[in-house]
Amino acid sequence: MAPRRRAFRLSLRKPEVTREELDEELAFHVEERTRSLVARGLTNEHAQSEALRKLGGSVHEVSERLQSSAEQKEKRIDMRERIQDLLDDVRYALRGLARRPAFCAIAVVTLALGIGANAAIFSAVDALLLRALPFPRGDRLMDVVLLSPNEGANPWSWPKFRVFRDAQRSYQSLALYTVRQSTLTGLDPERITAEEVSATYLNTLGVRPSVGADFAPAIDAGPNARKVALISDALWQRRFNAEPNVIGQSISVNSYSYEIIGVLPPAFHGLSGNAELWIPIMARDADSVNEVWSLEFSLIGRLRDGVSVAQARSEATLLGPRVYRATPVDAGTITTARTTEWSAAANALEAIRVAPKLRQSLLVLFGAVAMLLLIACVNLANLLLGRAATRRQEIAIRLAIGAARKRVVRLLLTESALLAFFGGLASVIVAWIGTRILSTMNPRETLSAQGFAGGIGAVSFDTIQLDSRALLFTFGITVLVACVFGLVPALQATNAELTGALKDDGSTNRIRGHSNLGVSRRSLAVLQVSLAIVLLVGSGLMLRSLSNLMSIDAGFDSTNILTLRLNVPPGVVAPDSMPGFYEELTRRLRAVAGVREVALADCAPVSNACNGTIMQFADRPASATGNAMVGAHWVTPEWFSTLRIPIKKGRAFNSFDRLGGEKVVLVNEAAVRAYFNGEEPIGKMVKVYQGGFNTGARVVGVVSDVRFGTIDSTARPDVYISYAQSRVSRMIIFVRTSSSNPMSVAPVIRQAIKEFAPRDPVYDIRSFADRVGASSAQARFSTTLLALFALVALALAIMGIYGVLSFAVVQRTREIGIRMALGANRSSVLGMVLREGSILAAFGVMLGVPAAFAVSRVLNASLFNVSTSDPATYIAIVLLVSAAALIASWLPARAAVRVDPIIALRRS
Amino acid sequence: MADSLSLLRGTLDILVLKALSWEPMHGFEITSWLEQRSDGDLAIDDGALYHALHRMEERDWIASEWRLTENNRRARYYKLRPAGKKHLTGEAVALRRYAKMLTAILDAKTA
Repeated sequence: MAPRRRAFRLSLRKPEVTREELDEELAFHVEERTRSLVARGLTNEHAQSEALRKLGGSVHEVSERLQSSAEQKEKRIDMRERIQDLLDDVRYALRGLARRPAFCAIAVVTLALGIGANAAIFSAVDALLLRALPFPRGDRLMDVVLLSPNEGANPWSWPKFRVFRDAQRSYQSLALYTVRQSTLTGLDPERITAEEVSATYLNTLGVRPSVGADFAPAIDAGPNARKVALISDALWQRRFNAEPNVIGQSISVNSYSYEIIGVLPPAFHGLSGNAELWIPIMARDADSVNEVWSLEFSLIGRLRDGVSVAQARSEATLLGPRVYRATPVDAGTITTARTTEWSAAANALEAIRVAPKLRQSLLVLFGAVAMLLLIACVNLANLLLGRAATRRQEIAIRLAIGAARKRVVRLLLTESALLAFFGGLASVIVAWIGTRILSTMNPRETLSAQGFAGGIGAVSFDTIQLDSRALLFTFGITVLVACVFGLVPALQATNAELTGALKDDGSTNRIRGHSNLGVSRRSLAVLQVSLAIVLLVGSGLMLRSLSNLMSIDAGFDSTNILTLRLNVPPGVVAPDSMPGFYEELTRRLRAVAGVREVALADCAPVSNACNGTIMQFADRPASATGNAMVGAHWVTPEWFSTLRIPIKKGRAFNSFDRLGGEKVVLVNEAAVRAYFNGEEPIGKMVKVYQGGFNTGARVVGVVSDVRFGTIDSTARPDVYISYAQSRVSRMIIFVRTSSSNPMSVAPVIRQAIKEFAPRDPVYDIRSFADRVGASSAQARFSTTLLALFALVALALAIMGIYGVLSFAVVQRTREIGIRMALGANRSSVLGMVLREGSILAAFGVMLGVPAAFAVSRVLNASLFNVSTSDPATYIAIVLLVSAAALIASWLPARAAVRVDPIIALRRS
Repeated sequence: MADSLSLLRGTLDILVLKALSWEPMHGFEITSWLEQRSDGDLAIDDGALYHALHRMEERDWIASEWRLTENNRRARYYKLRPAGKKHLTGEAVALRRYAKMLTAILDAKTA
């Protein structure tokens, strides 16, 4: 039988009555049967039980059975009718939408952008801030740092770690690690990320090797431990064909041979997020692990059961000074005014997963994109209201012939739900593209150059993807959006004055029905304008901040310079011939055609990845507190002239500063200001705890400040050491070229290095300008996105004003015609419409500016040298919005002026 | 009741309609009437009977009302409605033809 539909749904009787009647009917039946059986000679009890048996159970049971089968049937019919209704609605809505393809396209594209952008940013927020850490019970992991009085968080040295480890009670396991870019030497050399770790590392993270064994705890007992290594699953596949007998084979890392003892599971990449090799810290020699001030290791711990994060934090505060006192600087000679002791701090790894600045800018973007979606919804609501207004007659007829208001609302809602559905579908494409861009945009070093290095590598941009959570989120907002922008117009439209709408001739009912719809449309337009102002002010402030960032003089000239890194694995060049190696290298490169100057430094400016240490003065008394923290930089003598960094006092390094001669250093002006107390710096003896300069060195020159940290941080005190007097294997080669495209000499430079040092890998070849650009990449990216959102918002606001006004003009054609017939001139009609536009804009500004003022405060930390109440930005935005509103009103105003009074009057 | 006949699907409706074509009856009267006419060969599950009655009432084949019996008891009486009568006539013809056909085949003496 085909699905039957009831024309009327009148229930014949109330269910409770049926139930009682049913009971009575059945009871009567049982009685009658019993009576007839007794009449045939059965005993009373016998007859009764026989009667019940024939009924198939007690009266109550059977009645229940009959009742529920009836109810189920009722429900089935109900459900069928509902689905049928829904299908009808959908079919009707589809037909309606198909008649207006332009409207549909605008709506769907607007929604696709709005929802898609939200889903993409949500994916980033999810991957970077929300998702669980990729380690078992990651919420029990803590990150512990040393706090220095004037430098903030610092890593650990092994001796300091030992003190902390032996004193603490909060952790079941503690581990040190540091990330080290390394070279797999031998045939087919390859650069990989390695982690140097304590033997407790995997145990602390809760990970076990999938093949072979973990490091033995005994490894941590002392330096010069056996050189063993764990490798990643990927490395095992790549270099060992996933052979099980890899255990016991050797692998050559930085020219040292390590014995492979295990392979880690495929998903594990260490805390750095991209490690392929793990070697024990204790495989080093005694000198480098016993150095108290060689602060290079990060410390993580797994909390003991029952210990809270708060307990661990207060313990760290308590133990910090103890660690410091147990491991003072050798003679205890300290110089700064600061006397606060060093301390330590513990934080849940969950909480510090990304740097605060990154978290901040993500949340700002998330807020902005949500606001954009809100504007898009408001815009659609506005469009639908306009559409509802033109359909008022149809709706009124439906209501008049007896359609329930609920039914009509549902019909209209179906239409917006369909739009939202298509928008949501299309948004998946936008979100997919968005997540692809996000996941590739931020290499780790770029993050660190921008001061975003606080987090752990395992939580990084490349984990951003459009997964089921993001899709669920997208679905959620799609539903929300359908309700938000669909319900208001639907309720409004069905609320219109019935009779007025029925005898609608385009004007008579204007007073009521129209003004009703008109008011909500106007308020929506005002809302759009104010939301757009909030976004515009936010992006305006960011733009100002970015332009400040870009115009910073970081202290050097980066144009026409090519930079590249060269790794000299230990053992390739004998330690004592390293200075000769640097000299010969620069000499050869200088001979390359197109090269003007060549210099080396161990670390690039604005990379925020440089090395620091403490400095002491030979002529000041010893003290156990306060330290002169300085950045320590290795350079060749020509570095300052190559980067156009002026020497302010004294001299630069020269060819007489070499091994065996007097050790000399240069300091920057910031160091002079901070530590020299107005004394003459030239000629002063200092001790620098790096590169063997702790025995004393003479200051021979003062150079102007260079920013080595993030671009927005001021230059800190720095000390320069010459490559000629101290050996260090890491280096960046700076090549000043005569061409304005420094990359053009890259191939010849590479070739020249290959001829000179064939076994040393060259990598990271980039123009210096590119490196400097990376230091503001995130600011540029956020600002670009924010500005894009703001422009879309402005465009939508313009559309809103335009829509409202042009609709009003059409509605008032007759009125305008009369006015003109009565002698109103064109300019007064023009003025009338423009005035309406300005009123909308004015209300928008009145609401938007205070809102922007309140909201933009969240940007405070992201802004550089701009106040969140920067008047210039506000004035510019208000002017921009006013101009946009004027343009939006201009077209409807022109249309109003063109009204021909005769035609307008005749039409009614 | 091993040797009573069970009913083919839909047949109970026809039998009940047939019973009601004589006069309005309550549920037990319908059962008794059918049992008498079939010489006790027909076993009707009482639950199924009421299920059929309510279904047919919903389809408007029969109607019900509460009346008093000869013994002054309240009982629900069912009576035939035009739609039910029409259904009965149509189905009775079909059932008879069906029965005749079955008999003819089952009684066939020659191959």
